[in-house]
Amino acid sequence: MEFFDNELSTLMPAEGRVEAIAKVTGKGKYAAEYTVPGVCYAVLVTSSIPAGTIKAIQVDKAKRATGVIDILYHQNKPVVPGFADETKIRESRVGLPVFYTDKIYFKGQPIALVVAESLEEATYAASLITADYTAEVFNVDFVKTHPSIPLKAAGKERGTVDEWSNAIHIVEAEYTIKEEVHNPMEMHATIAEWVGDNKVKLYEKTQGVNSVQRVISGLFSIPRENVEVISEFVGGGFGSGLRVWSNTLMAVMASLQVKRPVKLMLTRPQMFSLVGYRPESWQKIKLGADSSGKFSGMIHQAKHTTSVFENFNENITRIARLVYDFKNLKTESAIVPLNLGTPTWMRGPGDCTGDFAIESAIDELSYKLNEDPIALRLKNIALKNDPESGKPWSTHFIDECLEQGATKINWKNRKQTPGQVTEGDWQIGYGMAIGMWTSGRTQASASIVLDKSGTIIVRTAMTDIGTGTGTAMQNLAHESLGMPKNKIKVELGNSNLPPAPSQGGSTGLASLGGAVMDAATLLKQKLATYAAAINAQYKDAAAADILLSENGISYKQANAQFISYADLWKKVDEPTIEAEATSAPGEERQQFAFCSSAAHFCIVRVHSKTGKVKVDRMVCVADGGKIINEKPAANQVSGAAVGGIGMALMEEQQADVKFGSLLGNDLAGYHFAVNADAPIIEVSFIDKPDPNINQMGSKGLGEVGIIGCAAAIANAIYNATGKRLRNLPITPDKVLLG
Amino acid sequence: MRPFNFTKVTTVKDGITKKEDTGQYIAGGTNLLDLMKKHIAQPEMLVDITTISSSIKPLKTGVQIGAMVRNSTLTLDNEILTKYPLIAKAILAGASPQIRNMASTGGNLLQRTRCVYFYDVDMPCNKREPGSGCSALHGNNRMSAIVGWSEDCVAVHPSDLCIALVALDASVKVVEKNQKERIIPFKDFHRLPGNTPHQDNNLPANAIITAIEVPVNPFNKHYAYLKLRDRDSYAFALVSVAAALHLENNRIVDARLASGGVAHKPWRWSDAENFLKGKEANTANFQEAARIAAEQTKPLEGNAFKVPMLKGAIEVALQNCLTA
Repeated sequence: MEFFDNELSTLMPAEGRVEAIAKVTGKGKYAAEYTVPGVCYAVLVTSSIPAGTIKAIQVDKAKRATGVIDILYHQNKPVVPGFADETKIRESRVGLPVFYTDKIYFKGQPIALVVAESLEEATYAASLITADYTAEVFNVDFVKTHPSIPLKAAGKERGTVDEWSNAIHIVEAEYTIKEEVHNPMEMHATIAEWVGDNKVKLYEKTQGVNSVQRVISGLFSIPRENVEVISEFVGGGFGSGLRVWSNTLMAVMASLQVKRPVKLMLTRPQMFSLVGYRPESWQKIKLGADSSGKFSGMIHQAKHTTSVFENFNENITRIARLVYDFKNLKTESAIVPLNLGTPTWMRGPGDCTGDFAIESAIDELSYKLNEDPIALRLKNIALKNDPESGKPWSTHFIDECLEQGATKINWKNRKQTPGQVTEGDWQIGYGMAIGMWTSGRTQASASIVLDKSGTIIVRTAMTDIGTGTGTAMQNLAHESLGMPKNKIKVELGNSNLPPAPSQGGSTGLASLGGAVMDAATLLKQKLATYAAAINAQYKDAAAADILLSENGISYKQANAQFISYADLWKKVDEPTIEAEATSAPGEERQQFAFCSSAAHFCIVRVHSKTGKVKVDRMVCVADGGKIINEKPAANQVSGAAVGGIGMALMEEQQADVKFGSLLGNDLAGYHFAVNADAPIIEVSFIDKPDPNINQMGSKGLGEVGIIGCAAAIANAIYNATGKRLRNLPITPDKVLLG
Repeated sequence: MRPFNFTKVTTVKDGITKKEDTGQYIAGGTNLLDLMKKHIAQPEMLVDITTISSSIKPLKTGVQIGAMVRNSTLTLDNEILTKYPLIAKAILAGASPQIRNMASTGGNLLQRTRCVYFYDVDMPCNKREPGSGCSALHGNNRMSAIVGWSEDCVAVHPSDLCIALVALDASVKVVEKNQKERIIPFKDFHRLPGNTPHQDNNLPANAIITAIEVPVNPFNKHYAYLKLRDRDSYAFALVSVAAALHLENNRIVDARLASGGVAHKPWRWSDAENFLKGKEANTANFQEAARIAAEQTKPLEGNAFKVPMLKGAIEVALQNCLTA
């Protein structure tokens, strides 16, 4: 995309997002920013030990502090029917039964919530609360613990290991990745207000309002429609907003207790332990190939952390079964419970981790074979059929992604022998890797409303976490109806709107787009019915024959058989005409397998004396089917690639094994990549519609932008230096000592 | 954060009079606010001294930088940029533009270590809680000191500005409780931890830093500040090097070498400097200087990498002096 690729470009940027002005002017409200009359403020007190039982909790001083309304803790909380007993707690699947246990599972676990008239008063009172614990033995040491946790089969074994035990070329190696925490710009926040005896309204930071609605209605035993969830603007999700975390629950409990609206926003330090993270992992790969470079088999083993109170498995070995045509494949995994908060999905969950190991091993194999890593991949990619289900891919253009990416980065300039190119103390290398993701789609609904003035509103409950969903809805409505974009408004992120799934797993637009298009068709059919009463020509009009403009509707071509909205509304009793549609995957899922993919290329320089790594260029060519709006799509992929740079080179959250505390919990010490660390990411798309996935032909994009990035960078470091670094992040110390 | 009283003063004298022993002065507040939020600092009163000198005064003998000169101002000032550019270079390697806009010159000297154990009140730390123990000594000490540390504390001083100041033989002008002025050489301002790591520096109790003086020097042509860190902006140093050479016909008349991220105080590599004096400015001599410095280090279990990194950083910084 010229606008992103070339900073000196004089091309006008493509038109902005529908929510752009609201965002830059501050009019767009994030969860904690809504003004709710009578709101009071909640501040969280967390455990100071990583494991044990609360013996006593001292709240008297805090209770007496100015402005304090109430303090919730395990001995003072409202009734939550979903937490009535152990069985119900397990069934609720919310994870931590906050305030319904005196057990401490990890340091930073909520033990009390102070509700006060002001944030300052609540903050101060929270500092006055102390607790006595019976401390218990804890464990936060993944490296020491994982060898004792046995692996279990993860999926059915293909072929046998014996069949390729004599493979001519074998790469066998272990890979580790440190924990990466979620820290979207907007911290998780909830304003909860009980607006009736069994009716609650939530302003919530989430990636799925209907999911929050479901969980809260279940826990509090109230009808689902009695839980209204509003999340119109989301300051970054990345998977952290796919679950209902304790902040939501505590705000709802507190509001029930004090009978007033309650606002609770996590602090940045609390974000490090209460909203999940990409778990620390260990992997082992054994990859075999014959003399022609055809893979003869692979064993992929993986382990990662979980909490002691919940089993989370992100399925690291899933991607081993997706990309390459392995006749012999054994995948095994295990999860390792530690005294930490529960991990969760983070951009490209599982696949991103697994891909690093596999794509590193393939790169290593390419040097053993003395074969170009692109050619080696092309020889082994399962391009026709999904190797797991055997179904044909509906569309799969990873070969084209590779070809275009190679051209863009001038791959032909890469030297096959590492350490050949230097510039002073800098060593320069090329690297590449591929990423894939199953293209999902789920049921989603949208509606389109037309009013008398000729204004369109497109609605859905789905959130827009920054991916450009709202903009794409406007684009689709514009293309389907013909109405100019400035007359099309978007409303989303509210559970009162047509239901939609959470925005995650690269399924948002792929699920929702069809509903928008179907709603447009329905609306045009409705309009035709009204119009037929004015002009008989419209009587047998198909939806495709109807065009909308600012001034009215026309038949087959602009201004033909034109009827103004004023005239039309003479036949309409309602103030608006509305059409709602639901779209869902169907038969095509039986026939085809669906995937998105991306090829990542980079040039890095590595300083031989200081270990510093700089990414000079990063090229990403992605197949996401038909691209609805290139600007937010490219924006999403480049953001993912910057995340990939962080994963490769700097992100790591450690815990102290002796004390069980996270080491550091601020953004000065936790390093994710910033602008200074990233070149301009050169993003392009294959942009060919998938004819079977949905009405638009669009596949998901959110994950493939990051899956493969870390391996591409590690592979480039090898090409530059001859050092094969298998432990992420590759900080300068590892380069120096590697 | 705990409740506190707040007083704003207009003069140094007034500040010293008003401040009680349980109080603290506040200037830019970029570190103090964090410390208060985390209950590491719990002053009962804050004395706002933001109205004290914020001017940069050229002197016959050098330059005087008022304690309230904001970090960002130093990076834009013509006197600094022409005669003491190493200072600007060092500042720009630290923090973020927003923080540099707030942070004061005097406050920069008084920022506390970023050792993760210091910031977590639930873990032992001799600097925060004397006698409780040093969690980093046998814990995660990747960021910790490689020189001058003690069994009681392995924390490092986080400043970039101070590395340039110690390299340039600056001095610190303070006014003590008795209202008397005193000059403290910069190299003696910060302390090694010894068995009293809770004392970061030798600033007398209740005294105010009023200015920093930097003597006239010949280091405005060949200088470099190299900071190695885990990301390229907004990260503290793993190792940083301030290097400056006074050259005559490629012969080193005088040399300055100092490092951040290696010790409890801004660290001067005097032996390496002495080696360089009189030598030709070439790669071999730079390598030898780096070797001499690296030889004086004693890394911990988790930061052995800092030794080769320091060596490389000194070589590169000295080399950069020739091209800067």
